[in-house]
Amino acid sequence: MRIVAATRPKKPRVFAATLGVALLLVALHGFGLSRGRFDPGRGLGLLFGVVAAAGYVFAAAYPWRRRASRLAPARVWTQAHVYLGSLAFLAALLHAGLARPQGLVATALLLLSGWTTLTGLLGTALQKWIPSRLTEGLRVEVLLERIEELRARLVADADARMAGAGEVLSRHYRQELRPKLARPMPAWSYLIEVRAGREQTLEPLRRLAGFVPAADKTRIDDLTGLHIEKLELDAHLTLQRLLRGWLVLHAPPSGVLLGLVAFHVFTGLWY
Amino acid sequence: MNAPKEQLRREYEGRLRLLVPGDAAELKRLPLLELVPPRIRDSVVAKIRPYAHFLDFAPGQVVVAAGEYSDSVYAIVRGAAVVALEPAQPVTRRAQMKGSPPPKPAAASAAPGRVQTLGAGDLFGDRSALSRFSVSATVSAWTPLRVLRLRLPALRMLTAVAPELRRTLDQRYRDETLSQQLRRVGLFAEVDEAAIARLREQAELMSLSPGQLLAREGTLADSFYLVRGGYLKVSVDVGGADLAVTYLRPGDFAGETAILFDQRWPFTLQAVEHAELVRLAREDMAAVAGDQPRLNDRLWQEALARLKTRGAVARNPVASEYLQMAIETGLVHGESVLLIDLTTCTRCDDCVQACADTHGGQPVFIREGKRYRNWLVPTACYQCTDPVCLVDCPTGAIRRSVGTLEVTIDPATCIGCSNCATRCPWDNIVMVETGGARADGKPEEVAVKCDLCRGRAEGPACVSSCPHGSAVRLSFKDMDKVRSVLR
Repeated sequence: MRIVAATRPKKPRVFAATLGVALLLVALHGFGLSRGRFDPGRGLGLLFGVVAAAGYVFAAAYPWRRRASRLAPARVWTQAHVYLGSLAFLAALLHAGLARPQGLVATALLLLSGWTTLTGLLGTALQKWIPSRLTEGLRVEVLLERIEELRARLVADADARMAGAGEVLSRHYRQELRPKLARPMPAWSYLIEVRAGREQTLEPLRRLAGFVPAADKTRIDDLTGLHIEKLELDAHLTLQRLLRGWLVLHAPPSGVLLGLVAFHVFTGLWY
Repeated sequence: MNAPKEQLRREYEGRLRLLVPGDAAELKRLPLLELVPPRIRDSVVAKIRPYAHFLDFAPGQVVVAAGEYSDSVYAIVRGAAVVALEPAQPVTRRAQMKGSPPPKPAAASAAPGRVQTLGAGDLFGDRSALSRFSVSATVSAWTPLRVLRLRLPALRMLTAVAPELRRTLDQRYRDETLSQQLRRVGLFAEVDEAAIARLREQAELMSLSPGQLLAREGTLADSFYLVRGGYLKVSVDVGGADLAVTYLRPGDFAGETAILFDQRWPFTLQAVEHAELVRLAREDMAAVAGDQPRLNDRLWQEALARLKTRGAVARNPVASEYLQMAIETGLVHGESVLLIDLTTCTRCDDCVQACADTHGGQPVFIREGKRYRNWLVPTACYQCTDPVCLVDCPTGAIRRSVGTLEVTIDPATCIGCSNCATRCPWDNIVMVETGGARADGKPEEVAVKCDLCRGRAEGPACVSSCPHGSAVRLSFKDMDKVRSVLR
């Protein structure tokens, strides 16, 4: 159900319009094929190529969205980036005649188109999935840059609460818990479930409650609270890094793609 | 080092050194304090001292300027003051210290406004302090002047124990302000002069403390209330739970159902903070409404709208949740509150970057703050209806221009005293170092706050630059919109 929600378009009308344009492009391609031999360098084939190139140039201008906010708010640029970028890939496929292209550059172009579109859509899905999971599953909201500082504060807080604790709890804290509190522990499992592993991690502390004096039971409650907070910081660290990190898969290849498109257009015009 | 700023700072610090709590013996000698019963005078003086200061002004020095916000009432101890009732030009910026000679704008000297003089024993500033409207006239010293400045807590203490003072202040308000205030309320906008005069005479002025009940649901409704300062919560009892229906702010009113239906209160009215009200007896208000068909129509419209809202809340208690939250967190004060939907926010920081781009590299909000459900309320100025940060700015650097939402700080005249940052109840003003140094070697600071990207055609950059539409700005005046956006 959550996955369905994450893949649901924010603006169904824009999605429907894009789908309509995609169908129109496919229909045009079918029409072109019915009229005879398909040539990427002429007529409809060339038109698809121009559409694809224009789409990629537009998509590559996305980093300038803030400066262009006078024309439209950034969210409109984001939607245009996603939808026109996807249409550009379809146009590139149609430009290639839905077949494996001839030559190294053309093949690389199509592969890079597919890669940037795929990683772009993956990023879109992550951007829809992760924020909702972070918000609905966790109590803590934190800036990525402040996680380290907050973790250090948490450890200092835990150390302060452990002053005067009994031997059993002190040993467990020193050997088991403190190292876990002190170091960042990102995990892929947070992508599926933001509270992943919480029960197992807290179990030893809970069990310890049966073997410590009454005064230490309060300390265990406090430590449990601090540990939960630390786990939430880890979830934030993992997922917020992922929210920024996926761009490494998308942006540099997009730059290469744009360069190849320019080369492809230049060689097409020259020869 | 910034020489003009340094001059302003020196003047302010000099004034600050003099700003020590008023001498108890001198306070007791004042005619104002003679209104307090002798048996409690000593304890009252002890309580008000921290909020009472004697200030001296040379002829020509400004005590309060039109357009400023003030939380103090001034009583003249010695000398005379002059009130410029109709300033030839509205004050837009005052790059000078309170108490220093006012600049002489050419237009002002060419076309002087109407003036009134005040002498020993006279009071001024009480109406703007109590109603939290901006000061309507500039008061400056005519002769060497000594005034007692009483801040609101002291004024409230005094009016509570000295009924004579309360009556005096009420009478001044009734004589000089009430008619205008009634006219400003849409309900009375088309009522004729005679009726307004009648209402003015019949009105009773009252004050409520935070949390004080004004009317309980189900009790006999015998009054019509108009809010002239502060906020009141309007709530209904649904299955034992107290659900907020709406809230009343300055200019709002309650009690129309009492006049029209002769019924019991359909909701409970409770002060959220110190509130000042005008009370009109049901019979008086009904008599005026009977003579004024437009007033009657407006009362009916209001009553129906209010009952509809009441019904909606009773049917759907969740609808009142955001209102309750807004009252509890202080968001009701906000004219433009930044909210971020965390379920769609990708924490990309584009909002902060855009804010920094618009403000010369220095963002004026922090993407951290209170969280309510899936909404984050970042540390960004709410642009409050009655901005307490404007009170006590020694150079007038922080201002709200008439008819605008945004409260702005002029960095050229901000001396970094941090009065505004200390006063902001929501910690939405921060002090930042400019990189320069003061004469005393300390780093120079200025106060920084959101100004809604004043002058930017696309509106606040944080909202227009959010790539996912997660950042919104809301006025908590319009609770219907708040409910529809935050659902």
